[in-house]
Amino acid sequence: MHADRAPSEPILATRGITKRYPGVLALDRVDFEVQAGEIHAVLGQNGAGKTTLMNILFGLVQPDEGVLSLRGREVRFRSPHDAIAQGIGKVHQTRRLVAAHTVLENIVLGHPRVRGWLNLRGARREVADLCARYGFAVDLGARVWQLSEGERQWVEILKALYGGARILILDEPTAVLTPPEVQTLLAGLSAIVRDQGVTVLLVTHKLPIVMAISDGVTVFRSGRVVARLRTADATEEILVQHMVGRDFALRAADRSTGAGRPVLEVEQLSAFNDRGVLALRGVSFALREGEVLGVAGVSGNGQEELAQVLAGLRPAASGTVRFDGRDATRASPLARWQMGIGYVPAERTEVGTIAAFSLVENTALNYHFDPEYTPRGLLDDAGLHKLTGRIVSGYNVKAPHTSAQAQHLSGGNLQKLILGRVLSRRPRLLIAHLPTQGLDVEAAAFVRAKLLEARAEGSALLLISEDLDEILSLSDWVAPMYEGQFVAVLPRETADAETVGAMMAGVHQTQGGVR
Amino acid sequence: MRLGRYELTLEQRPPLPAIYAALVAVLAILLALVLASFLFMSGESSVLSAYRAIFSYAFLNPHGLLATVQRSIYLLFCTFAFLVPVRAGLWNIGLPGQVYAGALGAFAVPLLLGAQEAQALALPPWLLIALMVAAAALAGAAIGGVAGLLRARLEVNEILVTMMLNSILFWVVSYMIKEGGPFMGATAEGESFRLIASLQAPLLRGVPFTAALALGAAVLLDLLFAKTALGYRIRAFGENPTAARYGGISRMTISLLVFLLGGAFAGLAGYHTFAAIPGVYKIPGNYGFYGDLAFYGIISALIARGSALGAVPIAILFAGLSLGARFAQGALRLPFGIDYALLGLLMMTFVASHVLYRFRLAWRRVQPAALRPGPAGLPEG
Repeated sequence: MHADRAPSEPILATRGITKRYPGVLALDRVDFEVQAGEIHAVLGQNGAGKTTLMNILFGLVQPDEGVLSLRGREVRFRSPHDAIAQGIGKVHQTRRLVAAHTVLENIVLGHPRVRGWLNLRGARREVADLCARYGFAVDLGARVWQLSEGERQWVEILKALYGGARILILDEPTAVLTPPEVQTLLAGLSAIVRDQGVTVLLVTHKLPIVMAISDGVTVFRSGRVVARLRTADATEEILVQHMVGRDFALRAADRSTGAGRPVLEVEQLSAFNDRGVLALRGVSFALREGEVLGVAGVSGNGQEELAQVLAGLRPAASGTVRFDGRDATRASPLARWQMGIGYVPAERTEVGTIAAFSLVENTALNYHFDPEYTPRGLLDDAGLHKLTGRIVSGYNVKAPHTSAQAQHLSGGNLQKLILGRVLSRRPRLLIAHLPTQGLDVEAAAFVRAKLLEARAEGSALLLISEDLDEILSLSDWVAPMYEGQFVAVLPRETADAETVGAMMAGVHQTQGGVR
Repeated sequence: MRLGRYELTLEQRPPLPAIYAALVAVLAILLALVLASFLFMSGESSVLSAYRAIFSYAFLNPHGLLATVQRSIYLLFCTFAFLVPVRAGLWNIGLPGQVYAGALGAFAVPLLLGAQEAQALALPPWLLIALMVAAAALAGAAIGGVAGLLRARLEVNEILVTMMLNSILFWVVSYMIKEGGPFMGATAEGESFRLIASLQAPLLRGVPFTAALALGAAVLLDLLFAKTALGYRIRAFGENPTAARYGGISRMTISLLVFLLGGAFAGLAGYHTFAAIPGVYKIPGNYGFYGDLAFYGIISALIARGSALGAVPIAILFAGLSLGARFAQGALRLPFGIDYALLGLLMMTFVASHVLYRFRLAWRRVQPAALRPGPAGLPEG
């Protein structure tokens, strides 16, 4: 069915793009087009192929088949240099700024005009103009490491615009931002599109953002384009159906707290962060069998340090940790695994898995010390294969086979693998840090259900999340965290979104946020 | 690169079966030999006779073959000394220093037990030989361990530490064997004392027992990394130290362990060269030559990609070519340094072949710039 197409030629289009990775068909004959001057949302679950397509559009990845066309003319990008030369800019999911340099230096870095001679004064004026136009006030002389995530994102956008980008690709730009920062970003993007006629490609899986800001939307599922709509004609329900491929409902938590034995007792725990600042400042709480404590907070308020200290990966500066009544403050990471503490880290590719290892070898990361799987010091390959097979099928990990390398799995599938691996140890205490971050609706619901299953089996669960709905739907206790401290530890019944949200934002303190 | 309607690109290959790795290695060797023939052309004899001289000396001549075997054992130990730490992501550049330490350790045993003369043997010779082997391994491990400990405890770069230790150990040996030094030989000509006959390593057809040690170690090392939990921990640490730490693998233990083990292998290399090869049985004045030779262990470990058994043919090749080319240089009056040039070319072709093993050159036709009409059959709202 062909609806009337806008008369204008698409500024950027692909025809029949196919990309295969060993054992995975990442993109399957994708036809995709974007009109000039629109904000086009690219929507899809993890592993749907969004990021691969964006990498192809930016010249980072070469397609196996198919063609790209820009302003009606066929193009071939052998590297991002070609794409940048054609006016395409990308703002990366993981920031690629030089932290020790100033904002201005980062913006002019790699600019075609800056060859050999660096005219920072002229550049400063131009960049300052750009900033003024979009209501983004940042000290151009500030060092990048001093900036918040939202500000860094702006630096990346300015860098792309200053480099002459007419098409901006933003990959999950809101993943690490606070709500006010998201507002600033969206308003700024709208202004750029309106005033400059820039085209924006916005990769996301957050429906409210799609509905709020985009003009058109393309939905991906399993490497294919499954829908192409004008946002005005779409509703959230329609988009979810396209994304997931069937109707679904988010399951509410079944809550029946029985007072079990205390598993974890933490008293006045403090720790330094990597920069030597006291980031965790005197946290105390107790957690019983079959209980979930939800730590709610905007990232960077000491949650990472809390998780790491409890997992033994960061020394405690002061305070005590008791596990099953025994002092565990100084126990090694290995000793904690053996005691029955399981940790699901927030970083899946850097910490949770080893990219070049097979799924089986990645399973061994939590089993290499387990006598059952290492008889006489030898790894039990057959046993580990079987175990990995059980995890892969039990947790719906989409992988060609258990000998595939972890680097060929998408973030969501890695997360399910890690969770399955850790839960297969039946830990007495599970520390889950951002367990559903970056996961699509369906995978997130699955992960939450598995967490509740573990809880029902008597595990104590420390859930650290930035998603307030997730905290409220899973927790028995809610601890809003702000600047390294628990503002309170509230029973779920008395914790409502407004109260917890206000405590997370540190309302009793001075108002924060980006300018 | 673009030529008319076609263009040449370098693309990543899908993983190839292991047999290709061997094939590519053979091609790399042939290419190096072809390139090296340009150098031989400057000599007086033909290229073919130069190669015949090299190979027949290295692999057919009984003396040459024996020398090749002796040198391969030495290179193999050096290979293992680099290979074990590099599996944990750590670079042991201290092979020469650890080799020297191994030599000193071995020669310290007869010195300390007063066994420099045949009639003064307090212990049975086989026990003394075993003690010498153990002392060599321990001394190498101790020197390697310094780097491992500094790395594990204080995160001091292991490359710097091992390089510095090379220099220190070089001069320690020099002090030990110089005129008046504790290890001084009877002739006082800047060499160590000579081992008495009963302490010289037992031979089988001219090959010392260290050959069995080296081959056994190759099998055990490959089993260690493929099958054991410890090998898994070392590999995990080498691939991603942060993830390894998350999984409960101790940085301290692994760093120290791989350097102790690597150093022990280098120490054995020292024992083999100075106390087991017929005709040597002393620390000669040109011990520095053997130290420099140890660096070929690094190359052979890198080419074998961490496989100890895979390093065996490479070590034999390096040993044979270095000896054969040196022989041919003298016999055919080829230019000086031709042996080093040949090894250098071989290294370069090996490294280049690695790139071609992982990537391929592809000719692609540039598509004509025409777009087919837009897509159909999808919901449009």
